Amino acid sequence: MKNTIKQIFHSGKFLFGFVIFMFILLTVIIYPIFVTADPLQMIGQGNFFKPGTYVSVEESTLEKSYTLQIPKQFSKLEMVLDIDTRANIQDFLIKQAGVAEADIDVTNAEELVALWKANYDPNTKYKGLTTAKRKALKRLDNQITAAMKESGVIIAEKNEEGELKQSKVIKDTDYVNISDVTTKTFLLGTDNFGRDVLTELVAAAKSSLKIGLLAGLIATAIGLLLGLLAGYVGGLVDNIIIFITNLFTVIPSFVILILISYSVGDKARGIAMVGIIIGITSWPWTTRSVRSQVISLRNRDHVNLSKLSGHSMFRIIFTDILPYIASYVVMAMILQISSGILAEAQLSMIGLGPATTKTATLGLMMQWAMQYSAHLNGSWWAYFPVVILIALISFSLNLMNTGMDQVFNPQLRD
Amino acid sequence: MKKNLQKVMSLLCVSAISLSMIAGCGGGNNGGTTTETPAATTEEASTETSTEAADATAEESTEATEETTEETTEETTEETTEAAADGESTPRNETLYEAGQQWGTINDWNPMSANSNNGLALSANESARELVYETLFMFNSLDGKLYPLLGSEYSWNDDQTELTVKLNPDAKWSDGSAFTAEDVAYTYDTHVKYQSSQGADFSTYVDSVEAVDDSTVLIKAKVENGVAVNPLKVTSILNTMYMMQKAYLQTVEERNGEDADKVKQDTMEDLVHTGPYAPYISNDQKAVLQRDDNYWGQADSMWGKLPVPKYIAHTIYKDNAAGQVALSQGEVDVCQQFITDVQNLWLEDNLPISTWLDDAPYGACEVMPSMFFNTEREGLDQKEVRRAIAMAVDYEQIIASAMSGQSPTFAEYPRSVVGPTDGERKYVDFDAIADLQWDNADVDGANKLLDDAGIVDSDGDGIREYNGKNLSFKAECPTGWSDWNASMEIVAAAGEKIGIDIQTYFPEASSFYDDMTTCNFDICMWSTPGAGVMNPYSKGMFYFSEEYAKLASNWSGNFGHYMNDDAEKILEALPAETDEAKLKEYYTELSRILLDECPAVALMYRPTLFYAVNESVWTNYPAADDGRNIPPTDCTDGYGIAALYELELVE
Repeated sequence: MKNTIKQIFHSGKFLFGFVIFMFILLTVIIYPIFVTADPLQMIGQGNFFKPGTYVSVEESTLEKSYTLQIPKQFSKLEMVLDIDTRANIQDFLIKQAGVAEADIDVTNAEELVALWKANYDPNTKYKGLTTAKRKALKRLDNQITAAMKESGVIIAEKNEEGELKQSKVIKDTDYVNISDVTTKTFLLGTDNFGRDVLTELVAAAKSSLKIGLLAGLIATAIGLLLGLLAGYVGGLVDNIIIFITNLFTVIPSFVILILISYSVGDKARGIAMVGIIIGITSWPWTTRSVRSQVISLRNRDHVNLSKLSGHSMFRIIFTDILPYIASYVVMAMILQISSGILAEAQLSMIGLGPATTKTATLGLMMQWAMQYSAHLNGSWWAYFPVVILIALISFSLNLMNTGMDQVFNPQLRD
Repeated sequence: MKKNLQKVMSLLCVSAISLSMIAGCGGGNNGGTTTETPAATTEEASTETSTEAADATAEESTEATEETTEETTEETTEETTEAAADGESTPRNETLYEAGQQWGTINDWNPMSANSNNGLALSANESARELVYETLFMFNSLDGKLYPLLGSEYSWNDDQTELTVKLNPDAKWSDGSAFTAEDVAYTYDTHVKYQSSQGADFSTYVDSVEAVDDSTVLIKAKVENGVAVNPLKVTSILNTMYMMQKAYLQTVEERNGEDADKVKQDTMEDLVHTGPYAPYISNDQKAVLQRDDNYWGQADSMWGKLPVPKYIAHTIYKDNAAGQVALSQGEVDVCQQFITDVQNLWLEDNLPISTWLDDAPYGACEVMPSMFFNTEREGLDQKEVRRAIAMAVDYEQIIASAMSGQSPTFAEYPRSVVGPTDGERKYVDFDAIADLQWDNADVDGANKLLDDAGIVDSDGDGIREYNGKNLSFKAECPTGWSDWNASMEIVAAAGEKIGIDIQTYFPEASSFYDDMTTCNFDICMWSTPGAGVMNPYSKGMFYFSEEYAKLASNWSGNFGHYMNDDAEKILEALPAETDEAKLKEYYTELSRILLDECPAVALMYRPTLFYAVNESVWTNYPAADDGRNIPPTDCTDGYGIAALYELELVE
């Protein structure tokens, strides 16, 4: 046994898969110890906040500020006026304001802005502009006005009479120490409900692993039991079992999965229920392969010897047959776990997974990201980490499986 | 044996991994593994092209984009549709593309049909779709007035029992014959005779529609005790009933043997209509209307010209995402779809797309999607339970995330029976009901309310009981309506905080409709009527009407069967009331009952129709600040159709 395990760990593929899987598993276990927040808490008010650190603006303005003489890398004006914007301004000046092209020097920001200010009036309806363009120019004008302002933002407070009273001026050299103010970091941004994607992802991975494990165990248990019976007993039992198995193989298991989940209804659909449902629909191929292995073992000498010694059927199955296919069953289970996780993702994506407000699962995260078209908005953080994680989990499980296969399968041994 | 097995295994591995990637990228509603591959590829393709399109427009080479989009649309249609093969594809610069109105192959053109899916031509609401059929008057949701179309003027007699309508003498049918008062009377009579939903609805309030002479119609209201039952409802016949030709209706009746079901199911593909557009192409790829160049409206008494686009086309998209991609690529000009973070389309992607307003809430909000509690269910018949759920909900979260910020908040526009428009808000005295408003997500208040009412968790399972039974409810709305789905999730999250188990349930739309219309739900969601001649009366009816509750199949409101005699009395008195002060008193009282009893709770404000336009081909669409008084009804509904006459091609 020890030797076998050693051998397995010598397989590079297995080791690689094992490391990835353990990394995911440990993250799932350790992360919640440090981050105790409810993964389903809706923190961000809005859809898909970008990944990054968010700083309390109010505290930043109130905290003690430090003056840092950092040479400015760019002027505000240059920042507003990128090449496209300059082209837009030039276009406007020529077409709408009637300025001669020769008078416009797009390379000189100051002059360009002066020309713009002299010719653009936000309240005029210029002919030949689309509404979108008109609105864009208005926004541009606001940006330019803001950029042209002397440095400094005034903080004012309302006094008792409701008048604004200046209380502070923030200069562009003012900085606050980030440890003085409240910050919140979303490493992977927020989702459409404003939930922290990273925390949710870890929780989702946990429930997906649970579902996968449960489904894998159940599927393997059923498959193994039926396979052993069919293979060893043979005859009528074999015929009946194989008939049922064939039935299940012919009907796409995903269809059965959908039908069962639908009839179970929303109320009962928790992690355990989804795991069980997946488990009881994905056993057929394990049965078939276990059966064929058992048939080839059934007539081996040691089995016959056991029979002659008058050992009971169960003893023969458990001591003479099962050990020979154990490695195979473990590998099959790993595949079942991996496909269980995928099945959950698929179920959740069509809205038949666990309840959104009760649990986080990888499939649900993807479903909501899809519904709020994260893939069209460029909010990659809402779905891409989920896809990667699912791929990683099944990739690592499959790697482990192939690695083990290489150890156990004499034909593959080099 | 083992080798084979291993091959199978490796195949399984590969497919499992690739499937997991694909499942992540696309797939959407298709659960089946086999159908996921195409979805993923189209998704990829579309994102690529959308970035290309973005670049192209940024460089202002709109012409190039036009060409490419034209090519792609043609290519896709050519493969499958016969129409395109017959050379019936329409030139891009003569076609206005819409999205978000038509979701399947058009099944009929029959305004009396109960199960028509024809969103392109038929939408007999307050702001009726005026493209093919026309109503007598057009409603303008901006100023709440009726504008003449087939009818030129209308007037009530002094005691509001008879409505006289003058018709436009220039109005003609598409077959060239004149539109007369006979047609109006016959249209109404046919609706009533075959008990179409409009016919059944109006016959309660309208006594008769008679032709006085060729161009004068007299509509008599039903009168009880010398007062018209509901003059408001009678007026709404003017802007909600599509006019049909008498001669044509007689043909339809004849060929169906005057059988009510058959008449209502007639597809009317050979229709005779008055509107500026006629059916042209209709298949599972797209639906196209073609301009009728003999349209009567070019007479000086009406528009004085023809609408600008020669074709109105609507590609049948699979889902919102497909429509949104098409909009950002310039394949769609006017888009009636909810778009998450719509402002990013112009702020970040620099696309020539705009909405009615430049800032949040982006649209003209006038309706309130509301959740109804079934007051016949044990637990929900208690006003404390209803009010506690209402108090605990995080509305600001719904507005910010579920609605993507496209709604004003309840802090800006406190709750009442009326919508957020000034025209309606003047009817409610908000100071008088201020003490009934609740704070956003007031979980403590809700818990206290339930504790005080003695509805507590006595068996320690975290869920409160009423009469010994756990308070456990299903909150439902149709699947795929993403903003509503998300809202219901946020309601469910609120339930968890106050010890009430709320499960979300998103069935297919058809089974949701069954549940909602027959009061077979715990909590369901539906939207108030939009702006119209009957507002805010129709919103009051929507929340309280006992009459609606008594209908066998109730599409109109009060889905939770809430019965309140005070409210009913007010609803009876409202239609005939003209005194502003009295009206204000009534609506304030209705709002008071709504907030106190919570039979239904508004979750957000919303536009009746979403409206986002892409100006890569057409321009001069209505916008809030253009001073033209054309409502943002997608250039198709009510007075919004006026926009079609003012569109211009982008230079």
